[in-house]
Amino acid sequence: MVDGIYRFPFDAMASRCEIRLAAPDGHAAEELALAAIAEVRRIERTYSRYRADSIVSRINAAAGRYRVECDEETAQLLDYADHLHRASGGLFDITSGVLRRAWDFRKPCVPHARDLAPLLALVDWTAVQREDGAVYLPRAGMEIDFGGFGKEYAADRACALLQERGVRHGYVNLGGDMRFIGPQPDGRLWSIGIQDPRKPDGTVASIAVSHGALTTSGDYERFFDVDGKRYCHVLDPRTGMPVSHWRSVSVLAPLAVLGGSVSTIAMLKELEGLSFLAASGLAYFAIDSTGQAHHHSISGDYAS
Amino acid sequence: MTTSRQPPQDLAASLLAAALLLPGVQALADEPPQGGSISLRYLDYADRQSGLDRIRAHSPSISVTAPVAGDWSIEGTLTADDVSGASPRYHTAISGASHMQDERKAGDFAVTRYFRRGTLTAGAAYSTEHDYVSRALSLNGTLSSEDNNTTWAFGVAGSRDSIDPVNHVVVDEHKRTVSVLVGVTRVLTPNDIGQLTLTRTNGDGYFNDPYKLFDNRPRSRRQNTVLLRWNHFVDSTGGTSRLSYRYYSDSFRIRAHTLSGEYVQPLGGGWSIVPELRLTTQSAAYFYYDPVYDGTLGPPFPPGFANADPNRLSSPDQRLSGFGAVTVGLKVQREIGKLWTVDVKVEGYEQRGNWRLFHDGSPGLAPLHARIFQVGLTRRW
Repeated sequence: MVDGIYRFPFDAMASRCEIRLAAPDGHAAEELALAAIAEVRRIERTYSRYRADSIVSRINAAAGRYRVECDEETAQLLDYADHLHRASGGLFDITSGVLRRAWDFRKPCVPHARDLAPLLALVDWTAVQREDGAVYLPRAGMEIDFGGFGKEYAADRACALLQERGVRHGYVNLGGDMRFIGPQPDGRLWSIGIQDPRKPDGTVASIAVSHGALTTSGDYERFFDVDGKRYCHVLDPRTGMPVSHWRSVSVLAPLAVLGGSVSTIAMLKELEGLSFLAASGLAYFAIDSTGQAHHHSISGDYAS
Repeated sequence: MTTSRQPPQDLAASLLAAALLLPGVQALADEPPQGGSISLRYLDYADRQSGLDRIRAHSPSISVTAPVAGDWSIEGTLTADDVSGASPRYHTAISGASHMQDERKAGDFAVTRYFRRGTLTAGAAYSTEHDYVSRALSLNGTLSSEDNNTTWAFGVAGSRDSIDPVNHVVVDEHKRTVSVLVGVTRVLTPNDIGQLTLTRTNGDGYFNDPYKLFDNRPRSRRQNTVLLRWNHFVDSTGGTSRLSYRYYSDSFRIRAHTLSGEYVQPLGGGWSIVPELRLTTQSAAYFYYDPVYDGTLGPPFPPGFANADPNRLSSPDQRLSGFGAVTVGLKVQREIGKLWTVDVKVEGYEQRGNWRLFHDGSPGLAPLHARIFQVGLTRRW
């Protein structure tokens, strides 16, 4: 079996995405890639905050008014969000998206405490009521969103779909959150660069991966700088203010959802993020606010 | 807001468990080989005892592994051994060995089917020498837990051997064995993997060495093996240590302990080096007799032979004696490009009756030395 590698770039979830896979011919490769892209777009459509017909928009629109029945997949995503909230000591909160009403990263303007206070009153996952497969946001104006792990979930799903269809070599890259199906057809590992958080076209490290996932959270995706201080889109749900200890945290994990959750929680934990990463047992590469790199590599079938 | 009191290690594990509950998200278990490989090996074995170069063997072999149709793989090996040397002596204390020459051809073939959380492998093996033909069949499976941290293994195998020695001591004798195996492999930490395997083999038939006088062994043999293995990845060096302990007991009343360790150290530039050490100690079979001979008849007759039933169980086979043994080896491996690997291995073995532990040895035997030289070439695709 001599397979070629085919590339399929596409845009989804407000990111530049790419699928690479090995297939016997271009036609077979395209059919496989289109099925995986369709799965990514289905998740985007179903969980987008920006589409009025998505389940997330319907749940948010019903805040303070009525409960919304959830399908099985949504219920399981809410279960996972609940688990992340408890595991992170409340730092990972899918109701914190409302803070975006105060933070507009297109304008370098730090919001005033009096603007944040009413929004912080709406950030409270523990107040969300869930029973019998339905969800209810008790305060008008409350919102949930799966932005914290939706992309990673889509990468895992697209990958599982490709694997079910017999793909053994390739990866799914959704805006830098990557899940790997297997090494290159000749057995070589994929060599993946980790972006320099201060140079948009530079890399700070290169890592060889064949299985599992590589995810990165950073302060360079959406941000502005004021008076030499960076304000990024990763917000502490307790204060409504951006975290500042890490420029970027990359994690190598068996699943993209796991890697994405761990890298985001590490960003949110600020100084304590390092001990959290070290104890997680996962391989990581983190750059702190002074530019110093911290890393740890491990053995495992998903890394080498 | 609640504060988590979980230690972070449990926290990461619990996050993974929670993530695996998400619909359609999964980490695959054992996967079919990503590509095929072909290996050529040449093994040169020689052993000697004081004053006698005993056995010399040359074995070239070729093995192939190939993925087929996505979820299947096949593998096969062909070996040809060319053995020459002195035929086994009664005991090392006396001379009188004749010269022997033999050729063995062996082949095995296995097919594996990969499932989402497990594998199933069916295998067959055949080997032939001019006086010995062996056929074997096996079926092995593995099953992994949902989180892939635990893998169970089970297997059953059977063999049927035909023995027709050239000296016609016996004609058309047979030996049959049935083995069952259960095992569990567990990922203990990201750097540690542990494994426990239990094997039971029941054999019936002709176990004698037809070329040894006074070799008369029971017609059944029950063997039990417990194998414990621990692989540890060393963060600071990037190397891997592999330690194992094996306990063996059988109905010949042989009890053996084997402790072995090897350490794989990648050196960069595609080189890696693997030192290894193995320590073994075993007790003698209850019918083994030491090189102490009958007072009247002298060697090679076992003590009491003159007055006893000549058909009683007895064996002078060195492999059934009580001894301790040490193996020291070194393997050097070099990857050339991403597709070729060359390896060279040298091993020295020494067996002595007075090196045994926990039980009596057989001090009258001369020490046995062996050395193994092996060179291999592997091409992947």
